[in-house]
Amino acid sequence: MNSYIPTSLEEALKILFEHDCYILAGGTDLMVQNHRSSGLLPTFKKDVLFTSQIEGLDYIKVINNELHIGANTKYISMIESKFVPTMLKNVFVEIASPSIRNMATLTGNINNASPAADGTVPLILLDARLVLQSKDNKREISVDDYLIGFKKTDRKPNEMVTEIIVPLTDHKYLWRKVGSRKAESISKVTFLGAYKTSNNKISDFRIALGCVSIKPVRSKQVESKYIGLTIDELKNKKDEIVNDYNQLIEPVTDQRSNKEYKRKVAINLLKSFIDSIK
Amino acid sequence: MLPEYKTSVKKVDNEEKMSGKALFTDDIQMDGVLSAVTVRSKISKGKILNIKLPTLPEGYYFISAKDIVKENVCNIIFSDWPVFADKEINYKGESIGLIVGEDKKICLDLVDQVVIEYEEKEPVFDMKNSAIHKDFEKGDKSVLNDPNLESYTEKFQTGYQEQVYLETQGMLVYLDGDKITVKASMQCPFYIHKAICRTLGYPEDKVRVIQPAVGGAFGGKEHYPSLMGAQLATALVKIKKPIKMVFDRKEDISFTTKRHPSETTISALIDKKGKIRALDIHVSLDAGAYIGCSGVVLSRALIAATNTYKFDYVHISGDAYITNKIPSAAFRGFGSPQSIFAIEMFLAHVAKKFRYPGVLYKNQYLVETGDTTSTNGKFRDKIILKELIVKAKEMSDYDRKEKEYSKPNSYRGIGMSYFLHGCGFTGSGESDLIKAKLIIRKDKNDIVTFYTSQVDFGQGNRTTLKRIVVDTLGIPEDHVIYDAPDTDKTLSTGPTAASRTIIIVGGLAAKAAQHLKDIWVSGKEQEIIEPYVGPDYIHWDEATMQGDAYPGYAWGVNVVEVSFDPITYEVHVEETWSVYDVGHAIDERILVGQADGGILQGLGYGYLEVEEMANGEFRQKTMSDYIVPTSMDAPKMHTAFIDNPFKYGAFGAKGAGELTFVGGAPAVCIAIEQAIKEKIYKIPANPEYLMEILEK
Repeated sequence: MNSYIPTSLEEALKILFEHDCYILAGGTDLMVQNHRSSGLLPTFKKDVLFTSQIEGLDYIKVINNELHIGANTKYISMIESKFVPTMLKNVFVEIASPSIRNMATLTGNINNASPAADGTVPLILLDARLVLQSKDNKREISVDDYLIGFKKTDRKPNEMVTEIIVPLTDHKYLWRKVGSRKAESISKVTFLGAYKTSNNKISDFRIALGCVSIKPVRSKQVESKYIGLTIDELKNKKDEIVNDYNQLIEPVTDQRSNKEYKRKVAINLLKSFIDSIK
Repeated sequence: MLPEYKTSVKKVDNEEKMSGKALFTDDIQMDGVLSAVTVRSKISKGKILNIKLPTLPEGYYFISAKDIVKENVCNIIFSDWPVFADKEINYKGESIGLIVGEDKKICLDLVDQVVIEYEEKEPVFDMKNSAIHKDFEKGDKSVLNDPNLESYTEKFQTGYQEQVYLETQGMLVYLDGDKITVKASMQCPFYIHKAICRTLGYPEDKVRVIQPAVGGAFGGKEHYPSLMGAQLATALVKIKKPIKMVFDRKEDISFTTKRHPSETTISALIDKKGKIRALDIHVSLDAGAYIGCSGVVLSRALIAATNTYKFDYVHISGDAYITNKIPSAAFRGFGSPQSIFAIEMFLAHVAKKFRYPGVLYKNQYLVETGDTTSTNGKFRDKIILKELIVKAKEMSDYDRKEKEYSKPNSYRGIGMSYFLHGCGFTGSGESDLIKAKLIIRKDKNDIVTFYTSQVDFGQGNRTTLKRIVVDTLGIPEDHVIYDAPDTDKTLSTGPTAASRTIIIVGGLAAKAAQHLKDIWVSGKEQEIIEPYVGPDYIHWDEATMQGDAYPGYAWGVNVVEVSFDPITYEVHVEETWSVYDVGHAIDERILVGQADGGILQGLGYGYLEVEEMANGEFRQKTMSDYIVPTSMDAPKMHTAFIDNPFKYGAFGAKGAGELTFVGGAPAVCIAIEQAIKEKIYKIPANPEYLMEILEK
């Protein structure tokens, strides 16, 4: 097992071209997942590329009303940044604990591709995109398309995520993380609902639900059914909306909760979001 | 005369622990120390047919039942747990052997390569095979024939609980000459000492147990270290090199002992006015694969089953069942949290049935000074429970809140629990089993040294025991030396358990110091060996469960206020108010440490901490899955003590360690019931369970 600590993106991409590596940023998932026993170093099954020394990947900037977040940017930097919208900050401050938020990156959260990830829920709701680079190529992909299954992403072994792009919006929203305690808690259900109104009509309507499927659940097709309705019309269709999402979600029982609870709470949160629309 | 303690002293171990100088077991370095990793059974019940080892590199060993020196049994109260499983497997995770060698990583790899062939048998996971049955009654039985009484029955369940001590189990063994020497994370040095002597057949002076710094225990280090000691000593005899075994958190949660899960059925005969005339209580405890200390846990559960109440007639019985699961053992409260939860909930439910608000109903049954205990002993010492209740109500504004939150859709609730804890070993255990002896000696420079076998695992007894001796002798603090236990230097003053440290050992230390003071001659070497002498009124018959079960009782009242989120079924504990009678408070800050930690652990037991067993295996094995409250979950806590000095304790002190745990679970559940207007029958009352109740 080799460790690589590149200092430039070019060097990193060259290493990835030549070696199949874990890409380790903050290490808050990988160090735990590869932990062997107390008093021992973690045991990685393949080489590890550490991103922390790569220059130029730790930034937050706004270009054309879109937020650009460098892949090495830690949660704490986003929480403290004046460019990051409150919706994202409200999600980030509830992730893990201060010590984890000082180390962990949103890029890592996306690439870990856990169904219980909090960070991916607002990204999917906001149509965020990722920039992936390899030695000879650079491409953009939506976060929704990038997450392809349980702990699976569309990343090719020689690629790495270099930037997250989040369109900035002024939606009204409701965010709820339901965990098993008030801090250091892996979520049981997460809910993010957002809407815009104009002339008493719903001009945009978005729902993203975490922990209730292999990846965050969002359906633009379902959302489009309700865009254009008046607020009252939307509220009258509460049962239909509930029915739509009841069919989209497929929670499973695990060591943290059970599928009945996750479904019920997801639907309760959806209902309370609809009630809150004004 | 009682000294006044308005201020608390700095704990003697503050500096060494805050600075990081304190050495815990895994911090102790030794040249050439080997690592040990356990080979565990992968089945719950069956026979070992064959053990196929990988080729062991030079310097690597496999230690198993074939290496037992004398007796393949771990000395615990009831000694049925083998040091290494020989032929029979009785639970998943049972130790079959150890791989010992220089590199822990290689040991782990070798453990993975051990192939064991089993003949599997059908495991028993349900409580159906009773190993211990106890049964006793009190009062006038004729009431059972009264045709005008209505029968009312309820059943309560409590789950596993994990101790979550900060420092995981760990032990280092080495030879000092020909003496087996042990340093370990422990509660009871002499338990480990005895277990090693027994399995090796060694005389007492060939084994030495020394206590390093210990990071938490909560009962979890009362018996399990005896098993590790017996295993590692067996390995040491063969290998003759220092060996260390330290559990990773996952191994610790997965395979060490937990609190006994329980099922309690309570039936009452109730008259037309709602008064309970007779009570029948049956407590079932899941002992797991071996009995160990479960009989004693069952005793305590049954003795505490009527809690702080008296009834005309009670019949109390219970069973400890053997199942093919991880053995259950000691945990703060030792059986009483299970049965006290049941009786508190039962009385709250009967009160609702007869429309009594709040605690009004249960107040009619409170025991008073001079009343008989559940086992026909006597509450001799002054009971001030009513004062505790008045104070707790006043502090929490209970009556107003209770009324306000009883309105529909309040989603807020307040609950109040009463509880007691018998201090010290059950019955005549202190005089007959433990027989504590404390050495205190003075050198010619008038420097006093005393020894106990009490472990300070964070609770502060090193500070308080020293203070008792310093204040009794009336000499400067730096003229008294009191170090951590070392079985070569101290006589046994018993285990650090059963809330006995201050009431029993503290009392003994005070007495020894007083005797030294009485014969004090400056400049002369003097020594006193002080034996424990119990109050002469203690008469106890374990077979019939009759008599005085404890030398003294500590009392408490907890008030817990909660809010409830009807969308997510989450409970938020808002605030707690606690009032305790622990006799006389020697050091109030140390007591507040016990009180805050105790109620938080009790709350966790009541509404948060889920440990499920599936196919003989725990489902929650890590700190991210086994949920204990964080500081963010901790409510604002208010704690008060009412002075009620106890004649036999040091400076009037009684026990406080376990008492502060017991009331949290019933208080929080009674509060949740008010918030959701439904009844709770099982803990933890987590959101999944509350949803089930509300959506039924």
